Amino acid sequence: MSDSILVIGGGFSGVTAAVEAAEMGYNVYLVEKESYLGGRVAQLNKYFPKLCPPTCGLEINFKRIKTNPRITFYTMADVESVSGGPGNFKVSINVRPRGTTPQCTTCKAGEAVAKTEVPDEFNFGLSKRKPIYMPHPMAFPNQCVLDLENVSGDEIDAIKAAMPTGHIDTSQSAEKVNLDVGAIIVATGWKPYDPTRLTNLKFNDYENVITNMMMERLASPSGPTGGKIQRPSDGEAPKSVGFVQCAGSRDENHLAFCSYICCMATLKQITYLKEQNPECECYVFYIDIRAPGARYEKFYKKIKEMDKIHFIKGKVADILPGDAPGAVKLVAEDTIGGGKKEQEVDMAVLATGMQPVGAESPIPGIEYDSDGFVVPKEGIVPCGCAKRPIDVVSSGQSATAAALKAVQTISRRAS
Amino acid sequence: MAETKKIQPDLSFIRGLMESGGDTVNRCYQCATCSVVCPLSTEERAFPRKEMLWAQWGLASKIAGDADVWLCHQCGDCSAYCPRDAKPGDVLGAIRLNAIKYYAEPKAIAETLSNRAGVLGTVIAAFVVWYIIAFLWSLHTGEHFPFPEGTVAYHKILTFVPIDVVVLPIVGLVVWASYKGITRFWNDIAKGSGIESYTGTAPKPAVGPFVSKYVVPAVQEILAHTRFEKCGETKERAKGHKLLLWSFIMLFIVTTSVFILNDVIYVPFLHKHFTPMPLWNPIKIFANIAAVMLVVGIWMIFQMRKEKTAEGVLQSSEQDWILIWLIFAVGVTGILAELLRLMNIAGLAYPVYILHLATVVTLFLAVPFSKFGHLLYRTTAYVYQRYEDDMKAGKAGFGMEKDVIPPAEQAEEAPEDQKQEESKE
Repeated sequence: MSDSILVIGGGFSGVTAAVEAAEMGYNVYLVEKESYLGGRVAQLNKYFPKLCPPTCGLEINFKRIKTNPRITFYTMADVESVSGGPGNFKVSINVRPRGTTPQCTTCKAGEAVAKTEVPDEFNFGLSKRKPIYMPHPMAFPNQCVLDLENVSGDEIDAIKAAMPTGHIDTSQSAEKVNLDVGAIIVATGWKPYDPTRLTNLKFNDYENVITNMMMERLASPSGPTGGKIQRPSDGEAPKSVGFVQCAGSRDENHLAFCSYICCMATLKQITYLKEQNPECECYVFYIDIRAPGARYEKFYKKIKEMDKIHFIKGKVADILPGDAPGAVKLVAEDTIGGGKKEQEVDMAVLATGMQPVGAESPIPGIEYDSDGFVVPKEGIVPCGCAKRPIDVVSSGQSATAAALKAVQTISRRAS
Repeated sequence: MAETKKIQPDLSFIRGLMESGGDTVNRCYQCATCSVVCPLSTEERAFPRKEMLWAQWGLASKIAGDADVWLCHQCGDCSAYCPRDAKPGDVLGAIRLNAIKYYAEPKAIAETLSNRAGVLGTVIAAFVVWYIIAFLWSLHTGEHFPFPEGTVAYHKILTFVPIDVVVLPIVGLVVWASYKGITRFWNDIAKGSGIESYTGTAPKPAVGPFVSKYVVPAVQEILAHTRFEKCGETKERAKGHKLLLWSFIMLFIVTTSVFILNDVIYVPFLHKHFTPMPLWNPIKIFANIAAVMLVVGIWMIFQMRKEKTAEGVLQSSEQDWILIWLIFAVGVTGILAELLRLMNIAGLAYPVYILHLATVVTLFLAVPFSKFGHLLYRTTAYVYQRYEDDMKAGKAGFGMEKDVIPPAEQAEEAPEDQKQEESKE
């Protein structure tokens, strides 16, 4: 019998659940597979509908983690298996080596001497990074990472020599951690649906067809362009942008469910474009615009009233090369009497949906439904997008609820 | 507010559609992926999204007046990309089967030929009737029945006289039913696309220009299969179909030449039979090539449909299989009859020949009454599409047409047309 709680996933939901449970007096282990906490929210430029940067919400939670001794967190860590039952789960965790020590909070010197460049996953390949890097400027923990998989022996020596003594630690190796916990909160979240699977949209064929998450990075001040929205092909600011809604969502061949956030994300991204260039023509191709609740509906109305905004009811099912260099043509049937149309745009944004992480990387011992969402059980409590596709606000609420459920599992057994 | 219009769904139409292979129609949520991925759907004629909506709402008359249904060759691309698994390709297939039944007259024949038992029964009945006629004819000719003596020659059991006496009335029925069906279909689609009938604002087209401007190009396109070959998922199907169509045309030429040579020239004037032809006769060589093409073509269609049905790319209804098997039976009995005759095995040759006649009659009868009817309605739709395009461009006035305007002036006119269209919107 253990009264500790394990939270799998250190995104917005996992971090919230961890601090909520810890502040109720329980010991919490937080396990994150990336090298930083914050998950997808850390990659966003702004929240909808308030349009404030996500760092504020995250920083408050990071501060709560830092000041609470009941929270132990692991980054670059994978849960390898879960066994046992409510009250006494046995969990095995693999913690990958980070290659640096906690005092390594900057690595400019190491970056300068490293030659290898790999696509930066934080920016979805829109920029490159070196094998020694800070995941992103606001990363928590604020500690650099040595990418041991993409670095040669000579390069390590050069980096080690360039960096202050004691910052690089190549002696680290993968570490197994076994935990006994009373309850598990699964907050493994989501990943953007792989756009290359949408064969008719030919994502790989066009540089200027990007995903909505790439758009977040392009618009973000910490992103590859310093927040200037530019086409990947030539760095030009797009004069027209087409949004392809339901790219993978509500589609039995891909994600059978509505991803809930993509309509709002597109409406939000229109404000990014309009802020930088009010003349930018925005085309939104949709099946239905889903702006749930009064606040979101109001936001939708506000966007609709803007100038040079076009909503076309019809799904884009083909993308052709445009006449202008770098441009593309979105093909759709305007079902409200417009006929089959080709709309040329400078850049297209695929509103790719949220695929639960469980769909492709399930954890042995956790049960998932056919879409990859976690099936709740006594002692195993999903929250956030591991449970169902939801926005950040609802993720926070579901995380708090999950913390309560986990505490109940333990207190029921203790009494 | 726009004028309100009360929609009256035809529930029996929806039910009929769902029973004949269109059971997925209600899954559609109108995203229009289908209209975009369809390689045959164009800017002006986007389908099958609108047909899915009309079918869901039970707008039977809207669908009857829609030629686009017949421009689909059921490649299955729409079904493959459909996010709801609503299978628009299959729904359109079901709509076409229902349309053939709707235009068929008398309906009883269409009902009989729409299921396996009915078709089998028709073939058996025809087989028995042919034997009765052969028996009666043997009383007149004095040949042995059921196996005439001597070398096998099929005119010994049935000459062209009894055959023509039976077949010509059937030809009459088929031609009449086809004519009725086509004209009703034409009126419906003309009404559907908002073109007045000939008696209305549009003058009646003269046969000559009508044939040369619309029928000939349509038939040329069908012979070349240009549209069918654009079909994505089931591109291969077009190959077998092309082979089959060409074999039918060749066999039609053979039958007509033999009819003229034998029934009109040889027997009445030379008092001898033109058939059986020796194997070196050019007509015979031509006929044998066509027969092989027919069997190979239908076999390719069969294999392709089997494969694609198993893969779930398209659904196949009873009617699809019936037509394939009937054509296959015609080809196989025809080739067997020839081989058995050459081998001089009277005991098998004559029954197989009679069976061949029975299948041929059934297949021929099936033209306006079964899935075979697609040859009538699809061809009509191909012709109509050209006619409609001209009508809408103001070029099909037959005598008043504007298409004699030199190209330079035409170019000036174009923007005006566009303006008009825009103002309508």
